[in-house]
Amino acid sequence: MKLKINRSIIALWIILALTFLVTGLVDSYFFSIPSIGITLQLAAPLGLLAAGQTIVMLTGGIDLSLAMIATGAAYIVSVKSESGLFISLAYALIFCVVVGAVNGIAVGVFGVNPLIMTLSMSAILIGVFTVGVSTFLRGSSRMPDLLITASSGLILDPITWPLIIWIIVGGFVHFSLTRTGFGRVIYAIGDNAKAARLAGVKVWQVQIAAYVSCAILGGMAGIMLGGQSGAVAISLANSYLLPSVAAVVIGGTSIMGGMGSYSGSVMGALILSVLSYLLATLNSSEAFKQLVYGGIVLALAWVYSSISERK
Amino acid sequence: MKISLREQYWNLSILGLVIILTVWRSNQLPVFGSYEIKTIILGIIPIALLAMGQSLIIIGGGINLAIGAEAILINCITAKYSEGSDFALSLRWALIGIVISVIVGAITGWIISQSGIADIVVTLATSFVLIGFALFIQPGPGGGVNLDFAKYFMGGEDSYIAPLLVLFLPILLIWLPLQRSRLGISFYAIGSSKDAAFLSGVNVARTRVSLYAVGGLFAGLCGVSLTAITQAASPFAVISNTATLNSVAAAVLGGVALAGGVGDLFGPALASLVLYYIPTIMLGYGIDPAYSQIIQGALTILVVLVGGLLRARGKR
Amino acid sequence: MGNLLEIRAVAKNYGPVVALRNANFTVAPGEIHALMGANGAGKSTLVKILTGVISGDAGTVKLNGEEIHFTSPDNARKNGVAPVFQDPALIPDLSLRRNLRLTNTNITKFEEQIAYLGLKINLEELVSRIKLPILRMIDLARALAHDPKLLILDEITAALPANLTEVVIRVMNEEKARGNSVVFISHRLSEIGEICDRVTVLRDGIDVDSFNTSEGDEDRIVSAMLGSKITSDESKNRSVSTGKEPLLAVRGIKDGDKLVDIDFEIYPGEILGVVALEGQGQDSLFDILAGEVSAKAGEIHFSNKKVEFSHPADAIKLGISYVPGDRKTALLPQRSIRENLALTKFRELRSWNWIHQKNEDSLVDKAVSNLEIDTRASSQVKRLSGGNQQKVTIGRWITTGFDLLLCFDPTRGIDVGTKNQIYKLLSGLSAEGKSVLLFTSELREVQLICDRAIVLYNGKVQGVFNAAKADEELLLNAAYGRN
Repeated sequence: MKLKINRSIIALWIILALTFLVTGLVDSYFFSIPSIGITLQLAAPLGLLAAGQTIVMLTGGIDLSLAMIATGAAYIVSVKSESGLFISLAYALIFCVVVGAVNGIAVGVFGVNPLIMTLSMSAILIGVFTVGVSTFLRGSSRMPDLLITASSGLILDPITWPLIIWIIVGGFVHFSLTRTGFGRVIYAIGDNAKAARLAGVKVWQVQIAAYVSCAILGGMAGIMLGGQSGAVAISLANSYLLPSVAAVVIGGTSIMGGMGSYSGSVMGALILSVLSYLLATLNSSEAFKQLVYGGIVLALAWVYSSISERK
Repeated sequence: MKISLREQYWNLSILGLVIILTVWRSNQLPVFGSYEIKTIILGIIPIALLAMGQSLIIIGGGINLAIGAEAILINCITAKYSEGSDFALSLRWALIGIVISVIVGAITGWIISQSGIADIVVTLATSFVLIGFALFIQPGPGGGVNLDFAKYFMGGEDSYIAPLLVLFLPILLIWLPLQRSRLGISFYAIGSSKDAAFLSGVNVARTRVSLYAVGGLFAGLCGVSLTAITQAASPFAVISNTATLNSVAAAVLGGVALAGGVGDLFGPALASLVLYYIPTIMLGYGIDPAYSQIIQGALTILVVLVGGLLRARGKR
Repeated sequence: MGNLLEIRAVAKNYGPVVALRNANFTVAPGEIHALMGANGAGKSTLVKILTGVISGDAGTVKLNGEEIHFTSPDNARKNGVAPVFQDPALIPDLSLRRNLRLTNTNITKFEEQIAYLGLKINLEELVSRIKLPILRMIDLARALAHDPKLLILDEITAALPANLTEVVIRVMNEEKARGNSVVFISHRLSEIGEICDRVTVLRDGIDVDSFNTSEGDEDRIVSAMLGSKITSDESKNRSVSTGKEPLLAVRGIKDGDKLVDIDFEIYPGEILGVVALEGQGQDSLFDILAGEVSAKAGEIHFSNKKVEFSHPADAIKLGISYVPGDRKTALLPQRSIRENLALTKFRELRSWNWIHQKNEDSLVDKAVSNLEIDTRASSQVKRLSGGNQQKVTIGRWITTGFDLLLCFDPTRGIDVGTKNQIYKLLSGLSAEGKSVLLFTSELREVQLICDRAIVLYNGKVQGVFNAAKADEELLLNAAYGRN
């Protein structure tokens, strides 16, 4: 098993290196420390979204409402910021926990398919926030300054606050998945929920925990995104949904569950971030961007899939 | 070929709901004649076709999150090249569009079979690629179509016969024969159990390709109908994403099991009517369309929940 | 007259794992030929190559002198080789009729075979609603409806009760009388001698022995499989515990389906066998005792206290552990041996924190050595042989600790060597004072390891017997409701 993981991670490193080199060749400025710093800074929210998505996908599920959870959390923080930083963060946390719990209960207790549940939740959240913007969520759409710094502040090139936050939170996620009982049951219910149940594991508890953790990580990512752009709009995290799933898949986590790791998802997030930089630099038309993005994600997933199949 | 009892009950319930909602809507409008009926049918043709295509794919154990993008692509192709054309040319482009759509579907199915990547991931990626192509062909709204051709779809002033045919012919000509054929049964087979299907002599890879190809056929029909009805091309990712989401919701509401192997195409067609009525009726009361989104989302969850419970009890 | 089937020098590798090295296998026309071997010896691989499920890396397969390469079981069926696999090749969500359409099976012929097998079925019934033993017979009927020259039965008797096994034997003999041949794979040694003409034994991917059943007996088969003499079973000191309090007492259990009024007790340190024909509700009984399913009526008393379970965790807490009959249900296929063994440790919320690596290591090592689990393919449990997998499912409970072990057909489909190990293990548990409730479809196991046995029939406990008296004949009669 150790050998297997090493080979996959090596493959990912190679792909990351290649993408890195190609981008640098196209734009030599990319190789500079500040620009690496910015890439990492922009990768951090994706990295957090991918963390949430990894946990949920390991259980065999998926969270397509993650983008709206992220946006929602950012919205709540900005609108409630007049009441104070902690209060606004507390509201956002409650929001994430509640949405995550609803998702988790629907999937874990009622057996609703995660794809459908989170897809529908996404629609519900869009509706709620669209209405909310003109009613109960009226207020500033500007993020508090401290959070803006936490989301984009520079410490020392290329290290930025968001990167530090990502490393700490990401490290915690990785540790939880590999070294705790929680991690074990996450993998277990993704691999064979029935066996886990017969061994005494309360599967619904694990599901709820998974979706709540995912939502909290999503909320963090959303606040970071809001901080990076300064203001919040409903479409804030939309363009991050596919990439969050793609990063996890490229990183080797099976969408069927029971296999994979967050370290792989981190690699996936990095690869995709460098890719975005490349596409932005090429100043391509929207059409080209869509084409290349979709094509490359497909190609990467295919390459990875055939490497792991060869074993 | 019999539809199972459970599917019959489900379809009847949906039909009941459709009738209730139709009565509701007809009360809402000052007049409810053939023109209004025609509007309703034209309103649901695209989504019903997409729902049928998606349902078929889900029955076969897959899912196509790019089905909306496929339809938009065909919409753009046909609208661009049919602009200012005569009837024959419009018709030709419509047929070309459908053929392209089938090929795109087949390629999608081929990628999924060969690569071993999950269908969700592949089709999420292809949705980007297809919208990219659509934008290439038609960078912004525009295009058009021969008006006589459009009339064939839309029917005359007060006649809803033509749109009704457009809605039902695919079911009659494609679905009914397919359901009885060995190919159709193979779709159910690979959706139910790939291993058992292989051991029963089904070429799983080839059947998968056919599955997505037929799904593409429905997407192509949807694209052509969009061109005929809107007489324009709309290369917007938002539209294609919403359309895809709705197709999945309609499939689920129509009694198709996400796990595969269960369901038919009648239910989803009826369910798309339900999905059409909800925002329309609410808009008629002046309610913010955002609320109808919430209701649609909640309704889908509720239906899946109920469906799951029924299925669980049925298996005991 | 040449051979019907000639397999020469077939080899198959799965990466570094050698499944078949140089396997030869010959079947004459009009012959019932047993294919034997421990799990991992290569039997399934050989059958898969023959029937077109996979292709071999080397070697030839000849049918009636002509070389063949089947591309799928369907292809094989069309050419006179009909397999009946362990997992029936039927689509669960489709009706029988549509399934038959899929394999282009002639409906009339199929119905004839069904009648011939003495079954009654409804063609419109959904396959998912049909019980496994009947499905096996349906699969057999379908194979027969294609007029095969060579019928391959892979562990067909493993899930069949005695009455249906008799039918299968009858069918095999009639095929033989018609000049067709049968390849019969089974782990039940007693059947081989009675039913088959020839035996071929595979070990480590090679055929090591091939003889007429008149020339050799069970011992020869087993020593060929194991490469050594079998160890004779030690007769256990059967002390039936009387006068002690029962550990578990079951009163009036009703499951709303097959179980109507189940009453029995099991004592500490006792191995209680459960015997029943197919579909008597035995699986439901075990599910109820394990806490997986609730009974519709009745009471369970454990250690003299009435108990109710809403989740398997409740039963586990009391000391009741469940080893399900289906290894696929019990194991996490993609996870390692360690994770599978330690799984039960994480059933409570407070165990969700940091894992003490060293503690876990010693726990896992103890279980591995106690059960002699082969840890070579330890990275993913799905790679282990059936016997090893079974040891892992039992092993995780050894580490957890229990008072009552519920074992549902633990030796089904397992090679003789591992079976003996499991018997020894269960006897050891009983000696320690633990109780075992053992459902077995192999009747001789009752006298081999049990202290007492109960027989289920018509939803009730038909009889309670001391193992000393419970020979196969007695048990079979009781299972049929004959007293």
